[in-house]
Amino acid sequence: MAQLPEELLQLLRDPSSGKVVGTIDEDGTPHLVTKGSLTSLDGETIVFAEGFEGTQSNRNLVRSIWYDRRVSINVTKGFVSYQLKGRPYQYLITGSVFRTMIDRAREKRGPKADIAGVWVIVPEEIRNESPEHRAAEEAGRRGHSSNHLDVLKAAE
Amino acid sequence: MTIAVEEKSLSVLAELYPDVPRSIILKLDLQRRGIAFTEATAEATSEPYYRGPDQTAFSGKDPNHRPFPGPLLLRDGTTVIASPIPNQFENPYTIDYVDGRFRILDDGRFIDEVDFSPRPEFYGKTTSRGVPMESIAWSRPQRLDIYPYRYCHYWDTKDQCKFCAFFTDIKQQKQLAGDAYAKVVDPEDIYETVREALKEPGRYSQINLTAGTDYSGDIPFEKEVGRYIEVLQAIGRNFATRRFPSQLIAPAYTKRQVKRLYDETGLSSYCPDIEVWDRELFKWICSGKEKWFGRDYWIRSALHAVEVFGKGNVYTNFVAGVEFARPHGFTSIEQALDSNFEACEFFAKNGVVYLSLVWTPWKGTGLGGQKQPPLEYYVRLVRGLVEIRRNYGLSSANDDFKHCGNHGDSDLERLN
Ligand code: SF4
Repeated sequence: MAQLPEELLQLLRDPSSGKVVGTIDEDGTPHLVTKGSLTSLDGETIVFAEGFEGTQSNRNLVRSIWYDRRVSINVTKGFVSYQLKGRPYQYLITGSVFRTMIDRAREKRGPKADIAGVWVIVPEEIRNESPEHRAAEEAGRRGHSSNHLDVLKAAE
Repeated sequence: MTIAVEEKSLSVLAELYPDVPRSIILKLDLQRRGIAFTEATAEATSEPYYRGPDQTAFSGKDPNHRPFPGPLLLRDGTTVIASPIPNQFENPYTIDYVDGRFRILDDGRFIDEVDFSPRPEFYGKTTSRGVPMESIAWSRPQRLDIYPYRYCHYWDTKDQCKFCAFFTDIKQQKQLAGDAYAKVVDPEDIYETVREALKEPGRYSQINLTAGTDYSGDIPFEKEVGRYIEVLQAIGRNFATRRFPSQLIAPAYTKRQVKRLYDETGLSSYCPDIEVWDRELFKWICSGKEKWFGRDYWIRSALHAVEVFGKGNVYTNFVAGVEFARPHGFTSIEQALDSNFEACEFFAKNGVVYLSLVWTPWKGTGLGGQKQPPLEYYVRLVRGLVEIRRNYGLSSANDDFKHCGNHGDSDLERLN
């Protein structure tokens, strides 16, 4: 497993970043949920806590680990944004990572906060989706053809 | 056994039955074929992070026994009850430890990564009476197991279930209570142990009680019921809620006895194990249960319990595979599947969950050394059981993938 880029790591570890996990339902419909607990503890994998076994998102994740399907994750803060695609590698119901995540949940939401388990995702594809980065990428690929002319006009 | 079927491998079966995930087929096979630890694994699991209790209900008195850290944890969270007891299995999977990770090997081939749950924080502590807490309760990844009475009186008349290795020396085939273990556990020791165990955040989500059978009392089983009530009340003092997630695996009781358990304690589910459904096989394999008081009584008791505990809160386990035991067992897979699906349908219709667990023919038990049915039987069995229960709106939350570790069928219900 490869080390995640530093900028992405900072984003993942920043509690004020927006974090979204996308999974696929049985019939192929995308399902998106925000995951405040999402982070990287080891700098290589993504972890997040699941509150309940029976949620749609959790069942989709179980289906993904059983049948080798990918999930996607978006992390954004301000104008910095990354998309990751990866596979669920583990569902932890005990152990030191599980303990770290339940301790964090309780620090944040009080002593009665609970989690059902912790998903570990191994990223396979990372895309920098920050507008500036995307604009440069697009320009490289398509020149100026996608720009509106008013954006290019000289200062008055 | 003389079942003429070709043995199909894990990967062949995963392709043949795509609705059963590979991890569940692997679990069934790990339980069926057994496991063996390499020296590296035995050492790694003896380290403080993993170290298990010094004895378990099934490890016997083997002086070479090394603490076993409890169930295997597959990557998807599936819990697998399997013990690496030497000289028991013909062709076990190997659990190896390389570069800080445990791995499952089959004949040297890498199968998957695996783990164990860490040593719970209450192990190594003692109760106020000086009793080691790790002799009172044992830990599964999310479940606390308590055996308040470590002796089964069916053994007194040689009427033990023929597959049973409960608190026995599996070599000498005798019960160990009073020798290696105290026979009766003091409810106050149980109360203190549970109190200590609950200090560990998020460690347990269920308490399970079981014990050997004690049919004594003016009314049969009355002493045992009284003992369970005392123990459950002691445990219940640890909780702010009236009911707490719990299961009692016990003999079949009268409706009045079941009602007492429900009314006087915080117990949330009850499980009188039928062990084997076929009438004649039940008589032969479970002669103790047949004497006290037979299969019909056992079934009636489970059905009555639904009126008390509610639909889906009464379970009955069966030892999948023992229905093939020689010389009286089934000789065809279809026969065995029909029998178990009939049972599952009957129980499900009546609100009872009929759950399978894989038979281990421990050497030293009455059926020691016999051959289990092929893996494909177990795969077909678990998918059939789940489908039947689904049709009746039943699932096995009390005995699911994280609470027990014995039931491939309840593991499959994670997508329900
Ligand atoms: S009831 Fe049967 S399986 Fe249970 S301890 Fe007694 S003999 Fe063993």
